[in-house]
Amino acid sequence: MRKRTTFFHHNEDAIDPASLKVSGRTLSGPIIKAVREDRFTLGLDELPAELQELLRLSQELYIRWTSPVPYQAIGPWSSRLSPGLHVFFTPQADTGANVASDDELCLLLRRLGPVDCSSPQKSFSRLPNDRFSHATALEYYQPVYDLTHFVDYAVQYVCASSDAECKTRFDAVKQASSLDFSYDTISHVVKVTALWGRQDQSLSISAPASHRVEVGLLTPNQPPHLEEYEIGVTGLLTVLGEDSKPAPTMFTFPSRHKHAGTGFSSSFLTPTGLHPTMQLNIKSTRPPMEDSACALHALVTLPRTIFADKYQLEDPLFLGSKNLTALRYISQPVDLEAPDYVMDIWGSSVLLELNTPVTETKEGFTADIPLHLRYQAPQHGGESTYGVPYPAVFWACAAEEGTKFPSSPFDRINLGYDGLFGPRTLFWHLDPIAKSGGDRLIIEGKVPVLDLDKSRSINTVTSIVVGIGFAWVIYKLLMVYMRTGYGVAQPVEATEKKKQ
Amino acid sequence: MANLLSTFFSSPSLVFTVAFLLRAVLLVYGLWQDANSPLKYTDIDYLVFTDAARFTFSPPSLPSPDCCPDPSLLNRLLLGIGSPYDRETYRYTPLLAYLLWPTTPAASASLPGPRVLWASWGKILFAAADLAAGYLLVAVLRRGRNMSGPRALRYVGAIWLLNPMVATISTRGSSEGLLGVLVAALLWAVLKRRVVLAGILLGLGVHFKIYPFIYAPAIVWWMDAERMGRPRRGNINSGAFDKLLHFVTRERLTLTLVSLATFGVLNYVMYTLYGHDFLQHTFLHHVTRIDHRHNFSPYNVLLYLASAAQQSGGFKIESVAFVPQLLLSVVLIPLVGAKKDLAATMLAQTFAFVTFNKVCTSQYFLWYMVFLPLYLPNSSLTRRPRLGLAALGLWVVAQAAWLQHGYELEFLGRSTFVPGLWWASLAFFLVNCWILGLIISDLGTNSTATSSTTTSGAKEVVVPLSSSAPSAEAEYEWGFDWADEHDTTWLTG
Repeated sequence: MRKRTTFFHHNEDAIDPASLKVSGRTLSGPIIKAVREDRFTLGLDELPAELQELLRLSQELYIRWTSPVPYQAIGPWSSRLSPGLHVFFTPQADTGANVASDDELCLLLRRLGPVDCSSPQKSFSRLPNDRFSHATALEYYQPVYDLTHFVDYAVQYVCASSDAECKTRFDAVKQASSLDFSYDTISHVVKVTALWGRQDQSLSISAPASHRVEVGLLTPNQPPHLEEYEIGVTGLLTVLGEDSKPAPTMFTFPSRHKHAGTGFSSSFLTPTGLHPTMQLNIKSTRPPMEDSACALHALVTLPRTIFADKYQLEDPLFLGSKNLTALRYISQPVDLEAPDYVMDIWGSSVLLELNTPVTETKEGFTADIPLHLRYQAPQHGGESTYGVPYPAVFWACAAEEGTKFPSSPFDRINLGYDGLFGPRTLFWHLDPIAKSGGDRLIIEGKVPVLDLDKSRSINTVTSIVVGIGFAWVIYKLLMVYMRTGYGVAQPVEATEKKKQ
Repeated sequence: MANLLSTFFSSPSLVFTVAFLLRAVLLVYGLWQDANSPLKYTDIDYLVFTDAARFTFSPPSLPSPDCCPDPSLLNRLLLGIGSPYDRETYRYTPLLAYLLWPTTPAASASLPGPRVLWASWGKILFAAADLAAGYLLVAVLRRGRNMSGPRALRYVGAIWLLNPMVATISTRGSSEGLLGVLVAALLWAVLKRRVVLAGILLGLGVHFKIYPFIYAPAIVWWMDAERMGRPRRGNINSGAFDKLLHFVTRERLTLTLVSLATFGVLNYVMYTLYGHDFLQHTFLHHVTRIDHRHNFSPYNVLLYLASAAQQSGGFKIESVAFVPQLLLSVVLIPLVGAKKDLAATMLAQTFAFVTFNKVCTSQYFLWYMVFLPLYLPNSSLTRRPRLGLAALGLWVVAQAAWLQHGYELEFLGRSTFVPGLWWASLAFFLVNCWILGLIISDLGTNSTATSSTTTSGAKEVVVPLSSSAPSAEAEYEWGFDWADEHDTTWLTG
């Protein structure tokens, strides 16, 4: 196992290098306002048996959790995902193994929180495999907004009961802004990455004797000739147990993901009814690159409660009236009719291109995404709540001809949208801003459902009313039959005469 | 004013021209609205049909490698055609997609004239079907009820041809108009004793939309030997076997065999080409559907509750909902009514089928509306205008109450399922049952039957009130055109 801890701070938050102390396998220093990333690199043999078994049946597996609490990401960690638990998975081509891996993946996911997944076959959606080879085959999402469940499980599994340091470290994960697990058969290693957004962090790291720990303290740097797709950093690196003092460093690397320097918020227009409209409010629509083709996109992750109708999003006039340009991608299949409670698939993801105004306006810009709610199971009280995570909003810009993006030490791949764009695309991410009064990046709504409190008599009363209606019609038929039989009707006068 | 109206309705060319213009104006207005407003005039269904037609006339799409290849795919590969079922929510026969071939981009490029015209081909077809249905209804009224031209035209015009609801539905691109003309043609063919044609239309109708199968027993029951112009064989009081033998007439056999053959051949061809998709989306879907979005059916809220419930046990009315529905529409109403008045019986059957159905939306109302011009002229609803207005008023009020709750649910997000929607749907159901009772009562006391005589063989339930009762012979040769000898003054006057 190897561990890499990186702190990334603004220049003005820098600390005096002299205040850093390295003694033996421990580094300590003052509190620093920075982003912190911990990355663990593990061999397969260091993993629990059940996880090893699962990975043997996987070609690629990425599990990405993002916190619903807004965080400030600086430096190379600008790529964004909707809050919640995302899984990107490619099973081994050998189909015989698929059956076995089906249950195990869902079983594993359930350790992370309340996950409603039966098997990849049923619950996962397929990603397009005809575009770019680097996308996984299957996708899954679940609105898991809290890692407490997982951390408590992991502490039991990993930490010895006497190991307080281990517990503290894991408890910190509960406050993490994101947690990533990635594995692919080519690298044959597992990388687990936890990220804490920009906040006061204590500089106190110690390395157990069993593994190598590297600590970086980095800040942005603008060397001359820095390309637009590159990030320059400078700072101090320390390998605990090897170095006696931090070593200065300076390097640049290409990055597909960058900060757009602006933000957006998202909400439902009221009244929501059964057809809510998600409104995106974008602060500034100035494209991040002057001389390059850029388009603003939103990747909307929709739990199965709610969906977008791809047929509705075909008409240019309709799209234009919502400030949308086009529906670029929608995961398949999306049932347009089924109620929520009979579905297995997790939901759907939708990539929309937004129609930004040519001239910049001061009020910012809004785009409306029309959505539809499914019927929910009946509830006491007649109302059910649902949450939709904030979408990921970014500018996709074409980098110069011939630009190559070799793997960067910090970039993430397989985020659900990167595979939908060409390999030369640069992503400039907008910061999600929680709506005033809220502190979470979740849009909440209420859906009317059948009120169970008032439903007790439905079966009986419906039966009685249908019975009355049926009896009435039968009675009328019988009257006609008694008077005229089943043959040709008798003249009215004749019938009356007979009666007389 | 009254004079003007009677002049208007005495000219078929005028009424049909206005009916045509009404649809033409709506169609052009729809094109304008679609091009200029994000709110579309065109019905979603029309987009489904045209998408399905486009898929049908494109090369077949290959299934994902891990899924089950259907043998029908090979047949489609050989023919180089795709499947309409590649369009989600296409729940119709592929025939409908075939009919819309001119709307496909490839077709409209090779056809003369502006593309927008061909893109609207389906709407033109559905609107034309409306007019054709109207034409057949007038013919049925004039012949079956022996009604004067202007009077027949007045009813068909007011209820069908010039009804803005009917014109809007077809110009928005909903295919119900096709069903209207099929059913009107079926009745017309039966009354004209065109048994083979009736069989073909019946088989086609059931293949198209299932529900016309309810007309089969009524037509068969109506089609007795006397009615078909042949004398009764044997003694009327003979044994059960003789009665059975007497029941099985050549016409009844022909109708049964031709309709079954039509239905069978169509299904066989479609199954060969589209396999399980065809069966699933055209037929099985309607049996197994689980989308219980609110609709007018009395069972609606109950079905929603039941679909989400885990526990079972107790009496479940929804699982036997087909019993009252089919008992009325397939057995009892035809048995009592068919020999009395076939058109009114078919109306009552359709009304019962829609009223007792587990799903009911407003387009289903069109299914029975096509029969109204045939029934209303001699009904108690028009004889007693206050009763008629009360029936119409209650029908509208119950529906409006439902729509109000539906609006609050759909757009304001209020949980109006109980009691609002539920009570409204039950009230609407009871109103419909009451109206159905009125229609059924009229079967027994229909004033059109006043001078009916059962002695003259082939004569219809309704025998001419006018002097010259046509012989059975004359009926067979009865010319189907406007210049009917009955009232030659009609066209000129």
